[in-house]
Amino acid sequence: MALTPSVTLAGARYRYPDTERDALGPIDLTVLPGEWVGVVGPTNAGKSTLCYAIIGLAPQFFGGRLRGEVSVFGSPTASQPVNERSRRAGLLFQNPFTQLSGARERVDEEVAFGPEAHGLPQAEVEERVAEALRLTGLQDLRARHPLDLSGGQLQRLALAALLAMRPELLLLDEPTSQLDPAGSRALFDVLRGLHAAGTTIVMVEHRLEAVAALCPRVIALGEGRVLADGAPAEVFNRPEVQASAGMPAFARLAALVGKGPPLPVTFEAAVEALRG
Amino acid sequence: MAEIVLRSVCFDYSSAVPVFREPGITLSLPQAAIALVGENGAGKTTLTKLLNGLLRPRAGSVVVAGTPVAERSVAQMAPVIGYAFQNPDDQLFERTVRDEVAFGPRVMGRPKETVQAAVDRALDLCGLAGQASTHPHDLVLAERKWVTIASALAADPPVVILDEPTLGQDWAGRERLHALVRALGGQGRLVLVVTHDIDFVAQACDWTVVLSRGLVRYSGKTALAFADEGRIEEAGLELPAATRLARALGADPAPVGDEAFTAWYRVQPA
Repeated sequence: MALTPSVTLAGARYRYPDTERDALGPIDLTVLPGEWVGVVGPTNAGKSTLCYAIIGLAPQFFGGRLRGEVSVFGSPTASQPVNERSRRAGLLFQNPFTQLSGARERVDEEVAFGPEAHGLPQAEVEERVAEALRLTGLQDLRARHPLDLSGGQLQRLALAALLAMRPELLLLDEPTSQLDPAGSRALFDVLRGLHAAGTTIVMVEHRLEAVAALCPRVIALGEGRVLADGAPAEVFNRPEVQASAGMPAFARLAALVGKGPPLPVTFEAAVEALRG
Repeated sequence: MAEIVLRSVCFDYSSAVPVFREPGITLSLPQAAIALVGENGAGKTTLTKLLNGLLRPRAGSVVVAGTPVAERSVAQMAPVIGYAFQNPDDQLFERTVRDEVAFGPRVMGRPKETVQAAVDRALDLCGLAGQASTHPHDLVLAERKWVTIASALAADPPVVILDEPTLGQDWAGRERLHALVRALGGQGRLVLVVTHDIDFVAQACDWTVVLSRGLVRYSGKTALAFADEGRIEEAGLELPAATRLARALGADPAPVGDEAFTAWYRVQPA
C-alpha cells in the first residue's frame, strides 16, 4: 500500500485578501513521511505562505482564497480545524514573538501551554516540558518571564513550545534567523535527531550552506511556484536558482576561484574540489 | 577620533538579570563599519540601547559623537543616532512607508523639502522606492526590516545602529545591505551592525567587537578577529566560510573575506 503523504498540494493557489495576484501557486507538491525538505527562494517567493497554507492558517486565519487541494496526512486542510491539526503538525513562525501565548509568565509554563490546552495528563505535560527545555537548552531560563528573553532565546522558546507537542510534521520558517552560530548548530542537531526518529520536516532557510548540508531534498520557489525540486547539488547548480535564491557560500567561493560547473555546494565537497 | 566611547559602563535589568557587572564595559569605536557579535543573551542589544539613552547605565559614562548621552533625552539623541530595531514590529506605527521613514526628521522640525529629499534618498538606498505608499504591515518581514533601516538613515545621523539587519534577508537583500554598510562606513559614519551572520561580518565590516557573557572579548580589525579559535568558540561564533575553507586547505593564518580568500588561493602551488 502506498504511504499517505504528510503533505499534498495539487493545483493549489492562494491569494491574500485585498490583493490582486496569487501569493502562492499554482503549485503541485508531495512530501512523504520522514522527508526533510529545505525551502529556499527570494523574499516574496511564497515560502512563508506555503507554510501557512500547509498548516491551514491560509485561509482559516488570514482569510483570502485558497483553490486546488492542500492536504495534510491525507485530510484536506479546508475541512479540518487548525486546533485539530496542531496535535500532529506544528509551525515555527518566522517572528518568534508571534508564537507566544501571551498568557503565561514563565518559560516552562509557556512550553506547557500546548500540551495542557490539548488536555494531556499532568505527568505527561511535565515530562514533555522537561524534554523540550533540554532539547532547546533552556533549562536554566525556565523561570524567566518570556518577555525578558533575548531575540535568540525567544526563538528557542518558540521551538520548545512546538516540540512539546511532539508533532509528526514540523514546519519551520527560518528557525535559526535569530540564533547565534552555536545555537544554530545545536538546533540542527535537534532536527537531525527528529529526522532520524521519523519526523517530517519542511524548513524555510536562507542559510543555503545549512540547507545543502542537511536537507536531502531542496525546493526552490520563485513567484509562488516551484522553480526546482531535487538534491541540493542539483538544485543549487541551476542558473535560475542561483540568480534568485543565490548559492551556498562554498559554491560562491569555488566559483570565485574558477572551479566548476558543477559547483561544490557543501564544505566537504568544496575542500575536495579546491584541493584538486 | 573615537565616535563612541564607553567607560566602565555597568547595567542590570534587575538583580536577577545582570548584564554588565563591575568593572563594566570600556570600549572605544572608530568611524567605520563595525560588527557587534556574540552569543544569544551576551548583551548586544542592551549595549546598543545604552548608546541612545533607551537604557541608562547604573554606573559609568557613554559618549557618542562628542555628546555625553547622560545629559540628553532619547529624542535629543535621535539626530545623532539612527536606530533600526531587531523586531521591526516594535518600531513601525505609521500608515505608509513614506510617513514612517519621514517621522524622525519631521519631528526634529526639519524643513519640508529637506525631509522630502532625505526620505526619497533613504527609500532609494533601501530598495523601497516603489513601496512608498504601502502600509508597512502589508510588507513581509524582510521588507519591514528595510523600512526600519530607511527610518534610521532618514535623519542623516553620524552614527547608525542596525540590530540584526540580515534577519529574513534573501541573497539580494544581503548584497544590498553589504553595499549599504560599506558605503556608510566609507562616508565617515559609524555604522554598528549587530548580527549572527559571520559571513556578512567578514564581507562588510572592517572592525569587529566580540561580546560574550557581558564582557568585551575582542575589539579590533575584522581580519584578526577570527585568529583565536578558543575565543570564537567561547562566544558561540563560527569561522567565516572563506576562513574555514582556507584553513581546511592548509592556510595559516587563514584569510578573512572573499577578496582575501581569492588572493590567497591564487598564490597556492598547484
